[in-house]
Amino acid sequence: MAIIVNLDVIMAKRKISAGDLSNIIGITPANLSILKNNKAKAIRFSTLEEICKALDCQPGDILEFKRED
Amino acid sequence: MWNSSKSVLASSVCTKIVIVIVILTAVASPYLVKNYISYTMKDPDIITPLVMTIIACAVPGLMALFSLDRLLTNIKRKEVFIEKNVRHLRVISWCSFAVSVISLISGFYYLLFLIIAVAAAFFGLILRVVKNVIEQALIIKNENDFTI
Repeated sequence: MAIIVNLDVIMAKRKISAGDLSNIIGITPANLSILKNNKAKAIRFSTLEEICKALDCQPGDILEFKRED
Repeated sequence: MWNSSKSVLASSVCTKIVIVIVILTAVASPYLVKNYISYTMKDPDIITPLVMTIIACAVPGLMALFSLDRLLTNIKRKEVFIEKNVRHLRVISWCSFAVSVISLISGFYYLLFLIIAVAAAFFGLILRVVKNVIEQALIIKNENDFTI
């Protein structure tokens, strides 16, 4: 997938565990794991908003576009 | 109170009953055909082809029934939109087409089989469409499951 989720990088910077983050943003740890491991096909704006709120960052800090040729 | 799980259970029981009936009919087909021919006073030369047709149709029939049973087992486990179910529906559909072809060939010596050929082909076609629908639903479900 050309869109890469750098959630683990931001989480490491903010020193927050996956369990804590899933509790704060209100999604299951399994779904957070899907997101972290780049297996997600899409992300809801509401989830992105909660992640940005919890990690105090911008969507661009979490999502990255890499051209696949 | 009647609910969906009881409905699935009833379908499963019916499938198992039909499996037993098909096996018994296939085993007893020489005896049944002989009696039918003597009762209706038809040409005794068609006994062997009739028995062969019944046994030939019983094989894809049983394959379809076993697939149907496995499909119902998955539905009982609340696993509806999975790749396995698409495969089961494909098998049932192809089995229907196989029965249709066998019946079509048998229609040359016994016209009544042509009706079964048309019915089986129609049933196979409907199942193919259902299979296509489940296939598309599977894609939508995957998309939905991986939307966080």
